[in-house]
Amino acid sequence: MAVPTDPSRDAAEGDRSVDSPAVPAVEVDGLTKVFKGGLGKRRFTAVRDLSLRVEPGEVYGLIGPNGCGKSTTMKAILGLLTPTEGRTSIFGRSSKEVASRQAVGFLPENPYFYKHLNGLETLVFYGQLCGLSGAALKARAMDLLKMTGLEDAADRRGGGFSKGMLQRLGLAQALVHEPRLLVLDEPTAGVDPIGSRKIRDLILEFRERGITVLVTSHLLEQLQEVCDRIGIMAHGKMVREGRLSDLIAVEDQTELIIENASDAMLEELKAVIAKGAASGARLIRAGNPRTTLERLFLEASEKANADEGKGVES
Amino acid sequence: MKGSYARFSLRRILALASATLTQLIRMRILVFLLIFSAIVVGVGFVFPLPTPEQQLKLLKDVSFGALQFFSVAMAVVATALLLPRDLEDRTLYTILAKPVPRHEYLLGKLLGLLALIGGGLIVMDLILCGVLYVRQEMVFQEFIAALRSEGLETPESTAEVRLMVDQQGLSWTLHAGVFAVFLKAAVISSLALMISTFASSTLFTVVCTFCAVIIGHGQQLAREFFFHRHLDGIWEKAASTVFAILAPDLQMFDIVDNVINGEAVPSGAMLSMTGMGAMYVVGYLIVAHLLFVEKEL
Repeated sequence: MAVPTDPSRDAAEGDRSVDSPAVPAVEVDGLTKVFKGGLGKRRFTAVRDLSLRVEPGEVYGLIGPNGCGKSTTMKAILGLLTPTEGRTSIFGRSSKEVASRQAVGFLPENPYFYKHLNGLETLVFYGQLCGLSGAALKARAMDLLKMTGLEDAADRRGGGFSKGMLQRLGLAQALVHEPRLLVLDEPTAGVDPIGSRKIRDLILEFRERGITVLVTSHLLEQLQEVCDRIGIMAHGKMVREGRLSDLIAVEDQTELIIENASDAMLEELKAVIAKGAASGARLIRAGNPRTTLERLFLEASEKANADEGKGVES
Repeated sequence: MKGSYARFSLRRILALASATLTQLIRMRILVFLLIFSAIVVGVGFVFPLPTPEQQLKLLKDVSFGALQFFSVAMAVVATALLLPRDLEDRTLYTILAKPVPRHEYLLGKLLGLLALIGGGLIVMDLILCGVLYVRQEMVFQEFIAALRSEGLETPESTAEVRLMVDQQGLSWTLHAGVFAVFLKAAVISSLALMISTFASSTLFTVVCTFCAVIIGHGQQLAREFFFHRHLDGIWEKAASTVFAILAPDLQMFDIVDNVINGEAVPSGAMLSMTGMGAMYVVGYLIVAHLLFVEKEL
């Protein structure tokens, strides 16, 4: 599943190379957002003095419990909310400027589209909003429908789309103008494991192509597979931030994964470790590593598909 | 592929207008046109009245009633659905996360709706004209036949019937009446759009706009009753102006009675009505933009 491009994409690549490496893709500086209380309601501080920086080309995961301020932060970055204090910018341009959104593709959580427009019309509509037109736009829309596995739904109206299909259509509309930054809010919510895997693979492909991705998800295992850096939010604040490899490494432990080791070899290894007990070294756990439920599901599905294919051929 | 950003783009506005129009058409709102056609044909041919004047007047009266109902109902209900529905469905997020200034979003939505109302009114105008023309010719022939059977047919009596039928039949003032209905709908739509920028729900927008429409139709009477009797010249003028801003004076678009009675509509009155209508639409759009640009999504 490759991200479709067209020859004029080279021009966009050219634009990207003009960016100074010092200019971050996203910069949030001292963001505070206070929602005014209505009648009888108290003021609510959703985000407090939050700062973060996403470098061009990296995949940044923003995680945290529900109501911690992730979506508010994303809306502020997209200019949908005005910060009470602080500032946000995209590729050096203030989020307050409408022009800053030319570089962004946004997939909101649980997206909905006009129910009476079909898949193709929806993508053409969003493309036109980005200044695209004509046969090139139509071809691009068809490519994106194919990429997201919705080519059969090109003529079907959005009202009949399942949750997973809406999510994929949302991803396609976010990509329609080939943005340099993708903001994905829970991109795999409501998508089955195979679709979820496809979205994960796409994010990896975006990174290879130099597209910056800012993503939130509750599926931490998936984020772990794609993110370069992670920010953890709680109560509107950033509580941990850094490179994923640094954050999740347990520095005082070492992992060895050995294939086809005999019992004798394992006993020898245990004996060597026991000799080092004086220096504080000890064996914490030994056994067979376990696969993930997701991997098990995907392997079983792929095998079933292959068997079905063989059955049809024979 | 990457599009370029322009501060103002007619193409973006037209894309929004076209999506709005497609959306509304596919909601089968134009089924009303079929109902309208049935009403016009029914009134035109099924209910014969004693005089040709009454027959043609009834046809115009009922048709304009249906035209006004269609345009006002569309202006209030469809407009009230536009923005709150986009917000509830979060479609607004995906639209405004694209390089779309908020005033273009409002303009596109309003244009799409006005295109639907305008298109609907043109179709209904054509149906009305067609039926009216056929009916007026039938009425003329029936009365000439009646005169002939009674031996009263003379060039003078024929000319008299022709004059009377033409006065109540098809004329340009009919289109002026339809244009006035459109102007009124445009003012109500822009008012509903403005209310929807701060309303918390579709129902709130519908109720508030209907209240404004009712007040707007009785505004001249209310001004006369409340201000003219109790306030001095300057205060009366000031209070009337504030009142006129809060609820548009919709009576100024009521030239339909003149049209039904076959009276001419002076071009000066048409110009003044068009100017006032445009002023209300622009005014409400400016306020709608000021409210919407600050709206937290």
